[in-house]
Amino acid sequence: MAIAAPQVDVIEYEPGSPPAKEIDPITARVIAGALDSIALEVGHKLTRMSYSSIIRESEDFGAALLDVKGRQICECALSTPLQLGPIPGYMQGVFRLFKERGDRFEEGDVIIHNSPYHGASHGPDVGFCVPIFARGELVGFSFTTAHHLDIGSMSPGSCGIVDAVDAYAEGLQFKALKCYERGRKNDAVWRMMRDNIRASDMVVGDMEAQVAACQIGAQRYVELLEQYGRETVDAATEELMNYSERMMRQQIEALPDGQYSAEGHIDGFADDPDPSKRDQLIKVTVTVDGGTMTVDLTGTAPQVADRAINMPFVGTVDIAIYVTLRSILLDQATHEYVPQNSGLVRPIRIVAERGSLANPTFPSATIARFCAGNIVADTLMRALAPICPDRVAAGMANMKVIAYSGVVDQMYWVYMDITEGAYGGRFGKDGVDAVDVLYANTRNNPIEDIEAHYPLRISRYELRTDKSGAGKWRGGNGSIRDMQFQGRAHMSLEGDGHRHAPRGAFGGYDGTTGDVVLISDGNELHLPSKFQSRWAEAGDIIRTVSPCGGGYGDPLERDPQKVLDDVLDEIIGVESARTLYGVVVDPESKTINHAATQELRAAMSKQAVAGKA
Amino acid sequence: MKLAGADVGGTFTDVIVVDTDSKAVRIHKVPSTPEDPSEGLIEGLRSAGDDSMRVDFLAHGTTIATNSLLQYDGAQVGMITTRGYRDILHIARHQRPLHYSIQMEVPWQDRALIRRRNRKVVTERLGPKGEVITPLEEEEVANVARELKDAGVESIVIGFINSYRNPEHEERARSIVEEVYPEAFVTTSASLFPQFREYERFTTAAINGFVGLKVRNYLVHLRERMRKEGVKAELRLMRSNGGVATEEFAARYPATLLLSGPAAGVLAGAHIGNASGRTKLITFDMGGTSADIGIVTPHGIAEATARDTWIAGYPVLIPMIDVYTVGAGGGSVAYIDPGGAFRVGPRSAGARPGPASYGLGGTEATVTDANLVLGRLRADHFLGGAMTVKPELADKAISNLGSRLGLSTLDAAAGVVTLVNHNMANAIRSRTIQKGHDPRQFTLVAFGGAGPLHAADLARSLDVPEVIVPVYPGITSAMGLLSTDLKYDLIQNEFMLDGEVDLDRLNRDFKRLDAEARAQLKRDGVAEDGVQILHAADCRYVGQGYELRVPMPAGELTSESIKRVWDEFNGLHKEEYGHAFPGNPIELVNIRVVATGHLPKMPEVPPPSAGSMKAAQIGEAEVYFAANGGGLKAHKANFYERSQLPVGARVTGPAVLLQVDSTTLVPPGASAEVLKTGDLLIRV
Repeated sequence: MAIAAPQVDVIEYEPGSPPAKEIDPITARVIAGALDSIALEVGHKLTRMSYSSIIRESEDFGAALLDVKGRQICECALSTPLQLGPIPGYMQGVFRLFKERGDRFEEGDVIIHNSPYHGASHGPDVGFCVPIFARGELVGFSFTTAHHLDIGSMSPGSCGIVDAVDAYAEGLQFKALKCYERGRKNDAVWRMMRDNIRASDMVVGDMEAQVAACQIGAQRYVELLEQYGRETVDAATEELMNYSERMMRQQIEALPDGQYSAEGHIDGFADDPDPSKRDQLIKVTVTVDGGTMTVDLTGTAPQVADRAINMPFVGTVDIAIYVTLRSILLDQATHEYVPQNSGLVRPIRIVAERGSLANPTFPSATIARFCAGNIVADTLMRALAPICPDRVAAGMANMKVIAYSGVVDQMYWVYMDITEGAYGGRFGKDGVDAVDVLYANTRNNPIEDIEAHYPLRISRYELRTDKSGAGKWRGGNGSIRDMQFQGRAHMSLEGDGHRHAPRGAFGGYDGTTGDVVLISDGNELHLPSKFQSRWAEAGDIIRTVSPCGGGYGDPLERDPQKVLDDVLDEIIGVESARTLYGVVVDPESKTINHAATQELRAAMSKQAVAGKA
Repeated sequence: MKLAGADVGGTFTDVIVVDTDSKAVRIHKVPSTPEDPSEGLIEGLRSAGDDSMRVDFLAHGTTIATNSLLQYDGAQVGMITTRGYRDILHIARHQRPLHYSIQMEVPWQDRALIRRRNRKVVTERLGPKGEVITPLEEEEVANVARELKDAGVESIVIGFINSYRNPEHEERARSIVEEVYPEAFVTTSASLFPQFREYERFTTAAINGFVGLKVRNYLVHLRERMRKEGVKAELRLMRSNGGVATEEFAARYPATLLLSGPAAGVLAGAHIGNASGRTKLITFDMGGTSADIGIVTPHGIAEATARDTWIAGYPVLIPMIDVYTVGAGGGSVAYIDPGGAFRVGPRSAGARPGPASYGLGGTEATVTDANLVLGRLRADHFLGGAMTVKPELADKAISNLGSRLGLSTLDAAAGVVTLVNHNMANAIRSRTIQKGHDPRQFTLVAFGGAGPLHAADLARSLDVPEVIVPVYPGITSAMGLLSTDLKYDLIQNEFMLDGEVDLDRLNRDFKRLDAEARAQLKRDGVAEDGVQILHAADCRYVGQGYELRVPMPAGELTSESIKRVWDEFNGLHKEEYGHAFPGNPIELVNIRVVATGHLPKMPEVPPPSAGSMKAAQIGEAEVYFAANGGGLKAHKANFYERSQLPVGARVTGPAVLLQVDSTTLVPPGASAEVLKTGDLLIRV
C-alpha cells in the first residue's frame, strides 16, 4: 500500500511479475489444489474444535496461508469473505508493528492481532498468526481470524457496541503480541485475557482452537515444501496470483472506459438529535481505465468520531469493494474456478478521504462498522449497473447482529445472533430470500441449538411477505425473527436499513425498510436500527424485521405465472398482483384472468408512459 | 443356496449369481433400463444363466432415490410444522452456496422440496428438553391434512421444533394424518433421525417425502415383476450405511437408500481387501465420469459425520458410509480455461459424444484419449474388442491441447493423466492424512472400468505401498452386495456431562434400543444368534457443536468403563484434529446402537480357471511413463490377457493386463502377483 497525498489515502498493489523459476502448468495446478485443501482442512478443524456458535455454527471465521511477503496464496472455502479477505491486511499491520518495535518472527511464535488501524477488520475479529519455518528459514504464515463473543468492551458482547466513543471503549487492543514465544506460552497475555473478557472460558477456548488450527496449516505447508521444493512452490504461488490478476484484468478491460457513480445512505443514529449523526452519504465513483479500476469514495460523509460506525479503510472498506467486484466480474456461478488470492486485487485501486466514514483516523471507534460496509458494497454495485446490467442485483437488504447476555452465578453468558438480509432482483432471477449480505456469508444458528444453551426462545422465524420490491424479477424477501426472553437479559443491536429502502433497478421498484420491535406486555415499541445496552424482562420479545430487496426490471413484464405462483405461495396478495404487476388473479379460484390482465397491463403501461411525459 | 447381487447403475446393470454349494459364480452386465429399472434387473438375472431366476436371495443396489433427488423428480410433498416456523426449509442456514456470486442458484429455494403453499402450520410447541410448552391442537392437524389432500399432495412430512427430544407430537400428528388421508406417504422428522438442527432434520425428512413414493412404487412394481417371472427370492435393498434392509423398511425410509450404489462399492473393496488379510484400505472405484473413494480401518468402514453430507445441494443427516466422489473418470475433459490454466474435469464427455477417440463427434481431449496416446490402452481391445476406437482422433485432440500449452502431444497426454490422478490423490488425502491416517499403512483396492489403469500411479503419489485389483473390476460393486448384513442405526439423545453421568439412565436407554433393534431384526427373520449389537456414544467438549463417535463396551456400563470412554474421546479428538483439550468437561450427546443381522454371503470362490503365463502373453508394445528426473520415456511393455494368468503368476512392470471389463497398468519398477483369491496384488 502506498500513501499518495495528505488528504486522501490510496490502496493499490504492484502488478505481478513472472515467477523467478519457470513453472509448468501441470505442477502449478497440482500445487493450487494442494493449497486449497490445506486451507480447507484448517477451517474445517477450526469449526469442529471451537466452542462458540459464532464460529462453529455461524462460520464467522477465516483461514488462509500467506507467503513471506504476506500475500495471501490460498483461503478456506468454508467461512465468510469478510474474515478471509482482510487477512493480508492483518499481516501487513503485524509487519508494520514489528518493524516499529524491531521485533522479529521466530520459530514457535504465535502472534495475536486485532488492531483496526493496523489492518484488522474490527476489534472482535481476532487474528492469530503462526510464522512457518522450514529448515530454520521463515517461509510463510498460517493465519486464522474469528469473531469472538466478547473482547472486554464497555458492554457485554461484541456487536451493538454502537456508542463506543473511541477505540479504547471497544475492548482489548492486541497489537501484534506474541502470545506464544518460541513455543513457550506467554501466560501473562492469556491471564490478561481471561481476566478482562466476559464468558472467557468460551472465548479463550475458541482462541486455543484458532492456534491449533493455524499450526495444522503450518505443518501442512512445510510438508508441501518438502514434497515439491521451495522454489517450485514459490513459483507456483506466484503464477497462481498472476493468474487471478489476469482473470480480473481481462474482465475490467472488457468494460467500457469511463466514470460511473452512485450514492447511498446509511441510517446512522436515527434517534440522535445531532443531524450529522443521521443519514450519512456514501458516495462511490468508479473509473474504468483499460485494465485498471479505481473506486473512489470521495464525497462520503465525514467520520463520526465518537460513535462506532466508522469503517476501517483496510479491513472493511477494501473488502466490501473487492468482494463485490469479484462477485460481479468473476461470479463463481458463471466463471471458471479462479483462486481467491492477493493477485485478484492488483487491478483495483481504492481512494478515500482521510477522516471520512470510509477512512477514519485513530482513535475513532469502528467496532460497529459492519452495516455501513454493506452500503458501500451495494452503492458500488449500483455504480456498475449501467455497464454490466446482466451481472448485478438490484438493491440489497441489510442485516442485523444482536448480542444477548446475562449473569448466572456470577458468570456471564453471551450469545450473538446474526439475522439476514435479502438479495435484490437479478437479471433472469428473483432476488435470493433471507440470505446473508453481499460481503459476508455466515450462517444462522439453529433454533434448537440456541434454546438448548441459553435462556432464549425463538418464537417465530419466517419470511416477510408482500414487501419485496416489485420487478420483472422481484427482490428477495427478508425474514421476521422473534426472540423471546426466558429471564431478564441484556441486549445490544446493530443494523441498518430502517430509513433507506434497497433501491429498485432498471424500472423495478424499491424494496422495503426493516424494523426492530420490542414487544412487552402487548405493547409494541419500535426501536432504531442501532442501540446499545437495553434490558429485557422474561416474556418480552424482540422482533427483528429485515428489509426486502429491490426489484429488477418493469413489474409489468413479469411472467404472470410467476405472479400467480407468488400468490399461491402467499408471498404476495391478490391485491399486490393487480396493483404492482397488473395481473388479475381470481381470489376464489386462484387462477389468472388473462384477458383482464392484458387489458390492465396495457392501461398501466400507458399511464406510466404518460407519467414520464 | 443361490445368491444374487444386482447393482443397477445409470449406464449398466451388473448382476452376479453365486451358488453357495457348488461355488459357481456367474456375472453379467446388461444395459440399464432407466424407464423401468426392474426390466434390466430381470434381464440381467436371466442372462446370467438358465436357472438364475431361481435365486433364493437377491441383494439390490439402486439409484432410484438418488436420481429422484438429483433430477428433482419426486412426489408432490406437503409439510405440517410448528406455527411460526413455516419457512425453515426455505431460509435454511441463510448462507449462500457460493461466496462470490450474484447469479448463483440456491437449491433449497430454486428447487424447493416442498413449496410454500404446501407448508402448513399447526399450534404446538416443545421446549428444548422435550417438555410440552403448548399442546398439539389435533383438530388443526386434521384440517391441514385435508387441505393438503385436496391440493393433490401425495406425501406429507411432519416436522416440529425440538421433536428430537420428544417425538410424541410428531407421532400423534402422524396418526391423525393417516386417519384423514390413509393413502398419503407420511414421514416424521424425529423417526428418521432424532438430531438437533431443525433445518437439516426437516430437510432430511423432506428428502424422504420427496423420493418416497418413487421408491415405494418401484419396490411394489419390482416385486410384482419378480412374481410374474417366477423369481421368489427374498429381496434386500442396499442402504447408504452399508447395510441392507427389507422392502418394508426401505419403503418407509427411502432416504436411507441415497448412496445405495456407491456404498456397495466400498463394501466390496472392504471385503476383497479383508479376504487378503488387509485391514487398512482405500477403496477406489473409477468409472467414466467420477471416482468414488471410501476408507476402511480395523474399526470398519469409515462413516460420514452427520452434517458433512450433502446430496444435490441439500444436507442429509442420515448415517452413511463416507463415500467421497470426485469428478474424475475416463471421460473427464481436459481443457485450457480463459485465464490460461490447464484443467481436467469435473466435466465429462459422458457416453455421448464420449472421448474424441470414440469417433462419435467428440473433439475435446479426455483422460481415455490421453491413456491411448501413452499406449496404456489398446485400441483393438476396448471392452474385449466389442468396441472400436480411433487412436488417431485421440492423438489429434491431445496434440491440439498440447500446442496451446506449448507441450508435445506426449507431454500433454502425461499432463492430463497427472492432473486427473492428482485430483483423486487430493480427495484421498482429505480422507487419510487429514483424518490422522497414514497412507503408507494402507492398501488401495482399485476397481471400476478405469480404476486399475490409474491405481499404481495414484498409489505412488500417495506413498501407498500396494494395490489390489479384484478379479472382476467392472462388476465389483455387485459383489459388494453379497458381502453385507442387515444393519440398523438407532440413536438417543442424552446430553450428560462427564462429571454427572446417570449410569442407570444410560443402561436403561441402551437396553431399550437393543430391544428395539432385536425386534426389528426378528421381524426381518434373523435368528437370535445371527444378531450382533455394538454400542457407541457421540461426545464433544462442552460447548462444541460437533461430536466424535466413541465406541462403548457392550453390556452394563460401570463407572470404570465410562472413565475409559472419556480417555478414548480425548485420544480420538487428538487423532481427528491434531489437538485435544484434556481436562475440559466432556458432554455425552447421544448414545448409538448399531445392530446387524447376519445374512448369507458370497462364499470364497476359487479364481476362474486360468491357463499359463505363456497362454496369457499377448505381445509387446511401447508404453510411455514418467522418467526419473522428469520427462517421459518409452518402455517396451508386455501385454497379458489377465484371465489366462494362473494363481501365483508374477508379472514385472512395465506391463499391461487386459481383460473384458478393465485394463490394469503395472508401471516400471512395480510388480504384480495373482493371489490365491484370483485378485491381483501390485507392489508399487
